[in-house]
Amino acid sequence: MIRAHRLRKVFRRPRRIEGRFGALRTLVSREYVETVAVQDVSFEIEEGELVGYLGPNGAGKSTTVKMLTGVLTPTSGEVEVRGHVPWRDRTANAHGIGVVFGQRSQLWWDLPLIDSMRLIGALYDVSDSDFKRSLRRMSDLLGLDDFLETPVRQLSLGQRMRGDLAAAMLYSPPILYLDEPTVGLDVLAKAAVRDFIADTNRAGRTTVLLTTHDLDDVTALCRRIILIDSGSVLFDGTIENLISGYGGQRHVIVTLADAGPETLSAGAYSAERADDGRYSFPLGSDHNVPALLEAISREHPVRDLTVAEPELTDVIKHIYARSRD
Amino acid sequence: MRRADRGMMAGAMRLAFAYRVRFLTGAALLVAEIFLLRKIWTAVYDGQSSVDGLSLDALIVYLTLVNLQMVLMTVFVSNEMQFRIRTGRVFFDFVRPIGYPRQMFEFQLGMSGGQFILILPAIPVALLVGSISAPAGGWAGVGYVVSVTLGYVMSVCISLIIGMAAFWTLELGGVALLYRLVSRFFAGTMIPLTFFPGPLQTVADLLPFRYFGYVPAAIYVGVIEGTELAETLAVQAVWVLALAGLMWLVWRRAQHRLVVQGG
Repeated sequence: MIRAHRLRKVFRRPRRIEGRFGALRTLVSREYVETVAVQDVSFEIEEGELVGYLGPNGAGKSTTVKMLTGVLTPTSGEVEVRGHVPWRDRTANAHGIGVVFGQRSQLWWDLPLIDSMRLIGALYDVSDSDFKRSLRRMSDLLGLDDFLETPVRQLSLGQRMRGDLAAAMLYSPPILYLDEPTVGLDVLAKAAVRDFIADTNRAGRTTVLLTTHDLDDVTALCRRIILIDSGSVLFDGTIENLISGYGGQRHVIVTLADAGPETLSAGAYSAERADDGRYSFPLGSDHNVPALLEAISREHPVRDLTVAEPELTDVIKHIYARSRD
Repeated sequence: MRRADRGMMAGAMRLAFAYRVRFLTGAALLVAEIFLLRKIWTAVYDGQSSVDGLSLDALIVYLTLVNLQMVLMTVFVSNEMQFRIRTGRVFFDFVRPIGYPRQMFEFQLGMSGGQFILILPAIPVALLVGSISAPAGGWAGVGYVVSVTLGYVMSVCISLIIGMAAFWTLELGGVALLYRLVSRFFAGTMIPLTFFPGPLQTVADLLPFRYFGYVPAAIYVGVIEGTELAETLAVQAVWVLALAGLMWLVWRRAQHRLVVQGG
């Protein structure tokens, strides 16, 4: 469905020259500054997948999406989307994709939402009956009825986002690119957006590529994630594999009934006392919690115990930090 | 014409209605401008029946026509393009199933259509204030319509070229204002081109802006007629082709310049 092979994008712009007539000299200069936005990215996405495309700010996520949509021409490497090379067959590619950007809108700012919907219906040659059916479905799923007649500039961010989702799916494209669709939304609006994405992927068999910084989006929606930084793929696989592969560990957190020692040792395990008086023991998933508990309670009275599962956030934080070194 | 094209124009026309206050104000200003020009030129003529072979009545008809035409010739598409490039909305223009220059051309057609409907009530008033008469003859009428149409296409092409410059500069404020002033002056909106001193008249003849104002109006009042009319229209058609070709060349380079603003 989507194939990227050794994709690379280098931006080149003239070096700014300071000083007298700087702007003019910049204009005629032949010196350039190069920025590598995407270094070397390869992946394949099958029909019906819902893939999370993650990475810190400036990692090259949006640049990749822009190349997949055909808006940017890759410096080198290959892209193929449903048999088309997007930047070469821009219009053929356009019919098969829907795009939502959290940070910018495809809706006409000064017109009521319904006018943008009509325009998009006409642009993508949606028949009148399909248009009505599609708009009805979107309105039901996203609750558009309250603000269909409102000019887009007056919509709240959550309403605008729902409008943009409806616009992107109005012509039922087989592929949906979402770039930070939940950025800045409140809890309820986020939930509405997530439900819509899940439903679109499940019911319509729409292939979704989701870029986000909200890891709750990822855990709620994605089975597979591709992690990039500095323009290269760091990881491609399931969330479970990511967590276990990068040493994500459970922690057993113990509170003693008395003031315990500086370092609490129990068998093969030991933990420092934290400021709040608790001890946190890192534990692999194959390790035995009751055995640890028993070892501790032989020496000290235990008042409370909790088990914290490894969090995607911690793993991702860990990976970003490491790739920056 | 496909549905997509009609849809684009219909959307732009609705947008013109959303900006109706701007256009209605423009219509009021148009009537006021024609009235003022009439007063000024009557004072300038100071009782003389004709200056440089041009009668006061013919001059006022000419000025009325030119200023009416300029409403149509003043196009906004470069502003819209700049706005969309600066804010990164141009991304969505690039993922549409119709090409970018075509979309923008249709956008302007829709806007002009809406604008025309909005200023329609002012037209009879303007014609009355300018005491306009019928075209000088049948061919003058036909020639006028052809010339205005070609002039309009020229104007949109130039506006598209200026708008595409935003792919390099991201900003057009000064250029757009300068263009507006220069094009209006050399179209002959305040002074007919025949009154320009020699060197300035040469400049005006070399520039395309005379086809926005002076040329169609001169055809209407019968100053350009016969074989000269045919020649003028042929030259204008060449201008249209040249500007469309230039626009296409700029577009071919501009599309690879695109750096969509923002993450």
